[in-house]
Amino acid sequence: MMPQTMTIEPLSADEPILVMTRTFDAPRELVWTALTTPEHVVAWYGGHGFENPVCEMDVRPGGRWRHVMRTPDGVDVAIDLVFVEVKRPERLVWQHADHGEPRRGGHPTSVMTITLEERGPKTLWKLVTRFASFADRDAALGIGFTHVLAEGVDKLAEVLRRLSAS
Amino acid sequence: MHHDPLSATLFALADPTRRGILARLSSGEATVKELAEPYDMSLAAVSKHIKVLEAAGLVTRGKDAQYRPCRLEPKPLVAVDAWLGDYRRFWERSLDRLAEHLETMKKSSRRRPR
Repeated sequence: MMPQTMTIEPLSADEPILVMTRTFDAPRELVWTALTTPEHVVAWYGGHGFENPVCEMDVRPGGRWRHVMRTPDGVDVAIDLVFVEVKRPERLVWQHADHGEPRRGGHPTSVMTITLEERGPKTLWKLVTRFASFADRDAALGIGFTHVLAEGVDKLAEVLRRLSAS
Repeated sequence: MHHDPLSATLFALADPTRRGILARLSSGEATVKELAEPYDMSLAAVSKHIKVLEAAGLVTRGKDAQYRPCRLEPKPLVAVDAWLGDYRRFWERSLDRLAEHLETMKKSSRRRPR
């Protein structure tokens, strides 16, 4: 079996969005449950090596998602989110609770929409990240800049190849 | 049209011809004529694409009056990639783990049919 991987769609010319997709070998209801139930979210959020000491979800429009993710280095990252739209089992929209406020570090302020589509016994997961404030986004882009520069031009050439292939 | 550097960069990257031009420039300077070679389009059309790339700060032109060779300016790309990279890695890791967790969930739902 081919390993499933996440795909990033080519960047849209018309909208400031980023689209990622992945197929899961599981029915849609189960994927929905895994995305919206804290006992399951703590198991996958962040991936291997990450822990999630706090995950409180009030899954309804206007409900909060309070989350603390612990990195493998032991750094706690508090994430305060709010659900915007909840349409079980196909559509979940959330954003940062301080949406529109100036942010210091972390991910840029954006609206995230997950849609789940049935593909026979499988489920197509699609995440659309829509940027709300270009200023916030620019601020967030500053992070990791030197890190990437340090990796040098090979890294850049790889980026360009990926971009031109997409 | 684009009031901030990043949206100009994203707009510039949204076109496959422009991505191709950038990929070519990543191996060194080139004239408009050289850049146009792989494409079935007029020099004017290619120049237009290069103007978009220039506006986004991704390409600068040399001073040589006749050829004005194009040069890649990586800074805006690096900025896009830095954020994209972190965000992408977060979701890649999370989704790999989610796929594993779904397998566990499938097994336990088989054991405990609702």
